[in-house]
Amino acid sequence: MRILLDKFSKSFGSTKVIEAMDLEVGSGEMLALLGPSGCGKSTTLFAICGIHRPTAGRILFGDRDVTNLPSQERNVGVVFQSYALYPHMTVEENIGFPLTVRRLPASDIKRRVAEISALVHIDNLLGRRPSQLSGGQQQRVALARALIRRPDVLLLDEPLANLDAKLRLEMRSEIRRLQKETGITAILVTHDQVEAMSMCDRIAIMKEGEIVQIATPSEMYNDPRSAFVAGFLGNPPISFLKGKALGGAFVSDDGNFRLPLGSLRDIGDGRALTLGIRPEHFGPDGDLAIEGKVVFAETQGRENLYDVVLADGSVLRSIQPVRDDVKLGDCVRWNLSSEAAFVFAEDGRRL
Amino acid sequence: MRTSRTLGIIMIAPAATMIFLFYLMPAILTGIFAMTNMSTATGISGGVYQVTQSAANRLQDDMPELAAGIAEPRFVIDDEGLAALEALKLKPGYVAELRGQHVGAVFASRREAERVIKALKDRPSTREVKQISDLFNRSVLNTRFETRDALIGSLEKLGFTMTPEEQDKVARVTYTGWVWTTDNFRVIASSPDMAKIFFNTAFYVAVTLMLFNVSYALFLAVTTHYMPPATASVFRAVWLLPRITPVVIYVLMWKWLTWDNGFISMFLGQFGVPPKNYLLDNAYNAWFFVILINGFIGASMGMLVFSSAIKAIPQTHFHASEVDGASRWQQIRYIILPQLRWPILFVTCYQTLSLLASFNEILLSTRGGPGRATEVWSLAAYHTALNNYTGNLEYGLGAALALVLVVIGIVLSLIYLRIFRYDTLISKPLIED
Ligand SMILES: Nc1ncnc2c1ncn2[C@@H]1O[C@H](COP(=O)(O)OP(=O)(O)O)[C@@H](O)[C@H]1O
Ligand SMILES: [Mg+2]
Repeated sequence: MRILLDKFSKSFGSTKVIEAMDLEVGSGEMLALLGPSGCGKSTTLFAICGIHRPTAGRILFGDRDVTNLPSQERNVGVVFQSYALYPHMTVEENIGFPLTVRRLPASDIKRRVAEISALVHIDNLLGRRPSQLSGGQQQRVALARALIRRPDVLLLDEPLANLDAKLRLEMRSEIRRLQKETGITAILVTHDQVEAMSMCDRIAIMKEGEIVQIATPSEMYNDPRSAFVAGFLGNPPISFLKGKALGGAFVSDDGNFRLPLGSLRDIGDGRALTLGIRPEHFGPDGDLAIEGKVVFAETQGRENLYDVVLADGSVLRSIQPVRDDVKLGDCVRWNLSSEAAFVFAEDGRRL
Repeated sequence: MRTSRTLGIIMIAPAATMIFLFYLMPAILTGIFAMTNMSTATGISGGVYQVTQSAANRLQDDMPELAAGIAEPRFVIDDEGLAALEALKLKPGYVAELRGQHVGAVFASRREAERVIKALKDRPSTREVKQISDLFNRSVLNTRFETRDALIGSLEKLGFTMTPEEQDKVARVTYTGWVWTTDNFRVIASSPDMAKIFFNTAFYVAVTLMLFNVSYALFLAVTTHYMPPATASVFRAVWLLPRITPVVIYVLMWKWLTWDNGFISMFLGQFGVPPKNYLLDNAYNAWFFVILINGFIGASMGMLVFSSAIKAIPQTHFHASEVDGASRWQQIRYIILPQLRWPILFVTCYQTLSLLASFNEILLSTRGGPGRATEVWSLAAYHTALNNYTGNLEYGLGAALALVLVVIGIVLSLIYLRIFRYDTLISKPLIED
């Protein structure tokens, strides 16, 4: 089912958290709300599921305006960051709770709990209490509880934040599998760009209560609309160089480094610019040589990471296939792919 | 090693002393007193042997002759009396004749003794007969003996012969000090008054506890939970007022409400209803008000405990249950109440004990009346041991009453723990698997 936020605003007292947000999530799509902590992701999610009433604007499920409907009448499934499992109920009672409160016959509840728990692979744990489960198992229970009454919409608030790295990887594909199998419309709230990119059809990236860009993960990675978006996606993160426009080229502040701007050559001289260079675009291959000193080196097994300090003190990150000829403190002369560099205006806008 | 152990003992000593003096001693003393017949009459130190009319009455069944005998005056012609007679310097013939012919004689009544005196050769006048007979009056009624031997010796001298068992019996009934006994418990178990008081207590505790200390307190806590925080604080403060108001004042308000010239009477007077004391009018009214007074005071604790327990439930549980489709009532039933199991157990236990032990509201309002309609166990203990209508304070019986109360309290606590199955509340968490 399609979800539409139309000029949605939310404030708590005098604190404005979200102002006039527009967002559309297509039917069966999984969208990530990605942004740093405190930017209003949970607030948006809680408004969609009816826990918070919007201060202004409308929320539509399909064509139905649910803005003023209480949570109970919205048919949404939510997985909370802390899972919010009821500690005094068994796993079976927890999962069956949405059906229990609808007074379904006990036999139906039992059958559907069995079905859904098989789907999330916890059918052997039904008799336990939440305190007797590991983090990953609790996560699955929360997921099963959110899915059991076949909601129109599935909302996930940082569902993987409390898991260890291995489990996180496992649950990432697990949640995506379930979403695809059930064909449910889902919104995933996360501050982790890897999660957003790996699990979702599209990403809405948020900053201080506003959506700054909505795009597919690869579009967003390759065509960020601002320095903020470029900085948020990618691991290791992009590096930025400060400079200005001079004669159709970017020139670093100390004048040592010059990069032709190609299609942007018409930018007026003297305008302050920032250059964004992803680590994979700085290394032995490329078309523009640049010198610096290695101040950080780390191997990740398959790849090595290096931080290189340039003459003006700015730092470029590089990721390369493993090699052992470069050591900390070495002076290197590596190349940039000038085509792949992003050019940002002083206010962070991509040019 | 040794020094550290000594040091430990020294460090613990003050605490241990406090525990002993202020916690253990009262309990131990209650236990000890309960096994005695201490009262105002016996005192709490030792006593003497005194043949009183009531002691004689108590001997009536087993030893009627002895009982009659010791209650009557007795006259014995003995050396002591003769010496006193000599000192009176009447005619010397009296002494000589009595000593010569009657020494050792015992008369069961004044009349018999005076007949012999009157028959003396020197013919004493009527006034002298009376004077002389007084000197030989050896009645034991109301005489105090410091020891048991003195009592028995004296009785034997007066011509009462007793078997050792009879001696025991006499010593027991004439002893004015306290003795060890289990009679208190027998009295409690067999007295119809105590049975009535027992049922009063059960009724009072059960009704106040269930209606007010738990249900009403839960109602208040849940209601305030669904209010905006500021409003909730105001309501909580108001609901605390009965607890904060000094109980004397609070009960006085109720008296103003219910007295024959109080608000209810005044109000109903407008409609021609004759004034009456609604508090003490009849047993139903008295109970009604006693339970209200205690209930409103007692509910505040439950309200505070339950409110903070509800606050401790993570907010996301309420969010989750709303999203899961639970109505407010279902939220209370499935989320709040199950998680209040421990607080409810705690309040039930604690309030049972405090209701069992407290009687000040009842004392201040109905004094246990009308009649003894609202007399509860602890009030009975108070009336028995500290404030008896007759003035004879029966410490021993009072202590026994208190002891029974303590035992009932412990037994009830154990039962509550069973009912609430506290072991199942403690689950074993597993490490990540
Ligand atoms: N109930 C609330 N009352 C007041 N401020 C809130 C409330 N909930 C969230 N906020 C504020 O709104 C902002 C966004 O919060 P939230 O949506 O939780 O951020 P996040 O993106 O980390 O999920 C934060 O600054 C937070 O302090
Ligand atoms: Mg959040």
